[in-house]
Parts: sequence; structure tokens; C-alpha cells
Amino acid sequence: MTALRLLFGLSCAAVACSPATTNTGAAFSSNWQNDGGKSIQAVYAKVSSAALAPGAAVAVGITRDGLVGIGLDGSGKWKAAGRPDSQPAIAGDVVVTTTGGSAVGLDAKSGKELWRVPVEGRVLRGAGDDGATTVLSLGAPSGGGSLLLAVTRDGSVARKIEPEAAELGVPAAQGNVAFVPWSSQYVSAIDLGSGNELGRLLLRDQVSHAINVGGKLHFGERGLVRFDDKVGGSASGNASAVKLPERELPGKPVWFTNGSQVTPAAASAREKIRLFARPADEAGKLGIAGGRYAATYFRVVMGLDAADGSLRWVRTFGQDVLGGAAASNGFAFCDAAGKVSLVDSSGGDAGQVDLGASLVGCVVHAGGFALPAGKPAGSLPEQLAKAIEVRETEMATAQRFLLRELGTRQEPLVTKALVDLASNPRTPALLLEDARQLLAARRNGAEYMLEALSKHYDFLSDVLRSPPVGPIADALAAMNEPKAAGPLAHHLNDAANTPSDIERAARALSKLATAAELGELKTFFTLYRATADEKELVNAVLSVAQALLRIGGDDGKKVVAEAAKDPLTHPDVKAGLANLTPAAKPEPKPTGDQPAPGDKPAAKPAKKG
Amino acid sequence: MLRQPFTFTALLSAAALTLLPAAASAAPPKGKVEAKPAKPAAKPKEKPEAKGDKGKAKVDTKKLEAELASGDSARIGAALGELIKAGDAAAGAAPAVEALLGKGLSAELVVKALEAAGALEQSSSSAAIAPYVKHRSDAVRRAAAKALVKTKGAIAVSTLRHALRSGDAQVRGVAATGLGTLGAKDALPDLFKALAHSVPEAASSIGQLCEPSDCDKFADLTGKHQFDIMSSGFDQILFRAEKDMPDDQKIKVVGRIRELGTKEAGKYLADVKGRWPEGWSKRVKQAIEAAVKATGGGASGGDE
Repeated sequence: MTALRLLFGLSCAAVACSPATTNTGAAFSSNWQNDGGKSIQAVYAKVSSAALAPGAAVAVGITRDGLVGIGLDGSGKWKAAGRPDSQPAIAGDVVVTTTGGSAVGLDAKSGKELWRVPVEGRVLRGAGDDGATTVLSLGAPSGGGSLLLAVTRDGSVARKIEPEAAELGVPAAQGNVAFVPWSSQYVSAIDLGSGNELGRLLLRDQVSHAINVGGKLHFGERGLVRFDDKVGGSASGNASAVKLPERELPGKPVWFTNGSQVTPAAASAREKIRLFARPADEAGKLGIAGGRYAATYFRVVMGLDAADGSLRWVRTFGQDVLGGAAASNGFAFCDAAGKVSLVDSSGGDAGQVDLGASLVGCVVHAGGFALPAGKPAGSLPEQLAKAIEVRETEMATAQRFLLRELGTRQEPLVTKALVDLASNPRTPALLLEDARQLLAARRNGAEYMLEALSKHYDFLSDVLRSPPVGPIADALAAMNEPKAAGPLAHHLNDAANTPSDIERAARALSKLATAAELGELKTFFTLYRATADEKELVNAVLSVAQALLRIGGDDGKKVVAEAAKDPLTHPDVKAGLANLTPAAKPEPKPTGDQPAPGDKPAAKPAKKG
Repeated sequence: MLRQPFTFTALLSAAALTLLPAAASAAPPKGKVEAKPAKPAAKPKEKPEAKGDKGKAKVDTKKLEAELASGDSARIGAALGELIKAGDAAAGAAPAVEALLGKGLSAELVVKALEAAGALEQSSSSAAIAPYVKHRSDAVRRAAAKALVKTKGAIAVSTLRHALRSGDAQVRGVAATGLGTLGAKDALPDLFKALAHSVPEAASSIGQLCEPSDCDKFADLTGKHQFDIMSSGFDQILFRAEKDMPDDQKIKVVGRIRELGTKEAGKYLADVKGRWPEGWSKRVKQAIEAAVKATGGGASGGDE
């Protein structure tokens, strides 16, 4: 704080020399009558000829002791001392921040101080700039106390408006007119010369932000309405408007937060869980640039289709994403490590610039920046698998979401990703169960499942989790995969598998087993017919008995029949065996070496009690 | 006389003694001075037939076989109990026990049957016992692993080698000890791997089985594992018969321990000195004495 005061001390003097012209709220009258868009249309006619530059393409990071900035093209890295007391704003070519009781304007490309003005205990909510004047919306740190300042490049406060009741949102400016959203439904156009309200836009949807996107103003919060020749039709739904598809996303991210509230300098979860999209003309109407928008969730960024919200790509970062911006052909994301990653609309890696410091917060403005061509990312299943691998508890919500997304995809590679996830000892329990369920429902990628089954728990080789035998057994049985019988039979006698997995493997074998598996089946039957003390194991023994009856010939029938009579056989197993009909029925005429797929077992195993 | 300072090693020795025939443990018990030279580390001992002349009561194996085939849980249990008591005197009943294991038993009886099979010490039983090492019941698989150490044979060795990979630490421990007892030199790579994976029982078995180059490799691990684990292997090396382990190798090991220079090493060497059998290599003895002197013999002045 002290450093900023010292740094900007000289320009502060200018404020005292340039008394502000003050309004006390006439501009935001609650007596206004809906004019059907006439006044705002007139404002458009008045200011549309005033050129509005798209503004600087920069990222501004908030460190523990100040600001760092860099162009998205890697140019002009700068630092400024003094920690802001709310999130800074990038307005045109000016970075605006409040610190130590003053608002400070910095040149976005160099970090050089442009001006400094007192803010009467307020902190910054947001700012806009028309190339000559910066409009600041300020408020008390704890809410309320709205104040609008218009500061010219020489540090003069050209206009100061302190509304009586209205809570002001994030303003924009064009042609010396400030566009100020307020009370969540209006945007007042204030002539900065006279302080008069020239017109007012009534929106039917929530509005608390006025923003400059590539030299065109837009207003909104949940969606955006463009300030163009149709803006007068806003109240009747005829303006150029765009919204993002409504869909479930982890953490319920929003495109814009409530602009009439202060955003903290240090990014909270709210800033780390956001949507980024850029309005643009698409196919003759206002749409989303590149047809993609992005959702962040801490370390993961998801690229979504602007038409239907479907997931198109996923990027995983080493640190939390603290801020970002949408450009015309991609996105820039700023993470806690100070890296600003450029991602094209297809999710490709388009480069990175480095702010060179660890950050607690970050704001990015894309201006008119166009990303270089990105390197193609891997397949979506691979991207999803990578995102799901991140071992951080706060990621669990997003990972469950991504896992569900993964499960909806039909590529065989998805099966591999699910197998890997379900086999990894580091996979959190919550995700593990989901992965296993999805795996059981797969009907392709058998080769990945068979490969997984070839592995067993092995302490000396550091294989400390058995493969997901149960889900794989379910899936391969449903696919009638004959190659599964051998590996499943081998797993039957591996104590490292859970009873539930054994039960499912045995059930699959009752359908898939051939004479080649008789040895393993008999061993299992011998070991557990009298020792099965869990319902799952009892069911497994009964399934194996069915397999023995089906493929074991007379010997198999004898083994089962003897067990059914033996007093040492576990009572539950015995009861189940009594329901089987082994040698009593004449053996059907052989129709081939293999059982027909889908052969029904002789009796159903006991249900779980 | 020195007090017993190496708790872990003592535990290992005790475990080995409960598991194995007395001849299997080559080193004299620590803290005691053995008058006679110790026998070399155990080698697989073929036991083709039962010995009924060890002063044990004669066993009516026919009757016991009939009891085992009765299908009655109590009678089977009682018969197995008798076989456990009778030991190899009842070796003739081994096929009946094997048949029982091959058919399957309740958890309680299967543990007894495994103990009985172990007590009968017939290598023919190993095939019937082996599948139980992978049983889901802790008690069953541990009993099976212990039984295999007694029944021996190629199947026992291969099963115990595989058991080193088990998720059950006790099974791994029994397997590691058992492989040493069974003289399974081929298992040395697995035993080194097991030691690296914190299976402490592997150290003693490596000491029992190692050739000089393996012993060097083992000695290189000094400092990487706790000294009491390493000393269980050193003990086996030092007390192996000269024909089985050259003096030079033993002197090398002594030198390695001496290099440690710790109080713990000094105490251990003093203990070895106390247990060194009369009539055994003077060269090795001198090396031990010099090392004891150099390390302070475990006195308080030794390095830590």
C-alpha cells in the first residue's frame, strides 16, 4: 500500500486540482417509465460513430505484494507494487485497481501509472474505458455504498455520481457516455459531460455488467445483449442477444458474477469455477465465437459446444485456474503458478506466457487478440482420463462429472481409461465405484479388459490393487467373450480379489467356462464349498457348481452331487446345491465343444441377504 | 555372558524353530556359546517314509484313515488331532489327509488338516496343500504356508516363491523363512526383492542361501535396512560351515559390520565372538576379535 502511495503520490495531487462534477442520484431515478427502447436506441445513434478500441490483450496477476502484467503475445511484462483490495479491472488499455484508499490507473501494456484518485473508503467493482475516460464503479467492501467515478487520462475526476439507492454494476464507456448497469435490470447511459441520463435500457434478464468485447458493448449477466441497432428491442426480446446452453456443470459456474458486488483480489472458489465465452456474429446472428465456451473448475477446464453444451475437450492444469478470457478463436487461462495458457477453440495448445510469479488472483482481457494455431490435443477419452487422474480432493466433483461424460462415449479407448482408473490404487473411493459401474456397462474394448485380467495383485511387483475383475466379468459375459474364461477362472482363486468380484467372475464363468477351466473351477469349489462364509462366496460356489454341471461331464456332476450330500458342506451352499439338478436329468445331446452363449444356468444363485 | 540384544533376530530364530526341524537353523542361539560346530544351513531333506521308531506311541493309521473318511466333523477333527500329535510316525495316513484336502473341509477342519499334513512331513502332500496358500481365510493360508515348509519338495518351493507376492504379510514372512529352510537357492532373486519390499524374514534366508557374490550383494545393503534385520542374515552367513561358506567371505562380512562402527554393530560382533564355536576357523575368530576391539565391543564408547 505504502509503495503504491509513494509510486502514485504525484498524480494524486492532480485530483485536488480538478474538482469533480457531482451528481447525487438523479441519473438513476426509479421514476423512469419504460420507453420501449426509444431512448437507448437514440443513445446508440449518438455514440455508435465513436470508435471503441477492443482494448489491450493482457493478463494481470495479483501477487502477495502487487500486480504483474504481460501481453498475451508475451510482450511487455511488468510489475507494480501495492496489493489491491479487490479484483482489478482491465478497461480498454488501462488496468484499474483500488489500494490504500485510492483508485489507480496503470497503462495495461507497461504497468506505468496513469493516474490516482481517492475513493472515499470504497473498493473497485469494475471499470470501463472509451479511450479517453475511465469509468469506475466502486462500493463499500462489505456491500452497498455505490459510487461512480469518471477519470480522464490526466487524473481529473470528470464526473462523480453517488446514487441514493441504486447498486451499480460494472460499467462501460463509449463516446464519453458511461453505460452503467444497476438494480439488475437497467443500463443507464450517462453523458459524462453533463451528468444527465441520456437513455436507459430495460432488460428482461439480469444485468450487472457492461463490457467491451472487441470494440462492441454488451450488457448482461446470465446472457448478453449487444449494443447495436437492435438494442431498442431488448425489452420486447428483439435485441441481439446470446445465452449459453443450460446444462449441469460441476460447481455451477456462471458467465458473470453479480457485478454490483465486490470481487475479492484473491481468487476464491467462485473465481476458480467460471464460464468463459465471447459473443460474436455467428451465421448472421449473435452467437459464441468459435462455437465453444469454456468452464473452469479449479485445475480443469472443459471446452463445451455453444450450441448444445456437449463436452468437446478437457484441459488439465498443474495449478488452479484463477482467471481467463475468451478470444475470437480460443481462450487464455491464467493459473496460480503465473502461467497464462492459450487454448484454441478445439482445445489445442496454442502456447503459454509466463507472468513469472505465483498468483493469488488474475484477470485477463483478450481485446482483439487472435491465438496462434494450436497443437492438436489428444483424444477426448485421453483428455478425460488425464483430468480424472488428478489427485486432489477438491477435484472430486468435477472428476465424477467427467467420469460420467467419459462413460457416455462409445470409443473402445474409453474402456481402457475406465480399466486404468478402476485398477489404480490412488483412485479415490468415490470415483472408483463410479468407474467400476461404468466399466460393467461397457460393451466394447474387450482387449483392454482381457489385458487387465492378465494382471494380479503382486506385492513384489508393486501391483497393489487387483484389476476390476467383477465389472470386467459382467461386461465380458454380456459380450459373450470366450477369451475371458481362462483369465477369469484364474482370478477365481486369487484371494486378493474382493468377494463381490469373485461372485461376478463366477457368474460369468457359469456362462463362459469351457473344459479348459475345469481345474481352476474344481479347486475353487473344493476350497470354498465348506468354507464360504459370505453371501458373495456362497453365490460364487453355486455359480461354479453350475459351470461344473455344464462342462464337467460325469466327474463334474459327481463332485457337485457329493458336495450336496456331504454334511461338511456349508449349509447355505448345500441349500443352493439342492436347487441344482445335476445328474438327475439326462445329459443333453452334445451340440459342440462349447456351450451356446447365453446358456441359462440350472438354478439361480442365492440372492444377497 | 552377553545378554540377548537383538530382539528381531531372536524372534526370527524363534519363528524358524517353531516352523522347522531343529537342524534347519545353522546359527547357535545368540547369547549362548555353542560347544559343537553348527550344521550348515538346512538343505531339503528327503523323507521317503515314516519313522515310527522315535519313541512315539504307535499309531493305528488304518483306524485313523477310517475316521478321516467318516464324514463326521467331530470324528475327523479328533483323528486329525491324533495325527498332529503322532507326527511323521503316522506318515502312512498322509494320502487320507491329502484326500480330505482335495475334497474340501470346513475352515476349522481344514486348518487342522493342514497342520496334520505338515506334521506327517510327506512331500507328496505338497500338491494337496498348495492351493490353500491362496485361500481367502488368513488362518487357512497361513497354516498352508507353514505346512509346505514341512512337507517340502518342488511344489512347496514354487508355491512359497509365489507366496512371497501375497498380500498377507504373515504368509510372505513364512514363505521367506521357508525358502531359506528348503534351501531354495533359485529363489534368491525373489528373496532380495522381498527384502527390498520390507519382508524382514528374507534377510535370514538370504544369509542361509547366498553364494559369495550374493552374500556381497546382501552386505551392500548394510545401512539400507535396520541393523537387526541385516544381522539376521549376517548371522546365517557367519555360522555356515566352512565348506559351505569360505572363511574369506566371512571375514569380508565381519569387515563390513566393523565398518559400520556403531555401538549396535559392536554389540553384535561381541555376541558373535561369544557364540563362535570352538574349533572353528581361527582366522575368522581373529577378525571378529579385532572388529570387536575396533568397535568397542558394544561398550558405550562406540560410535552411533
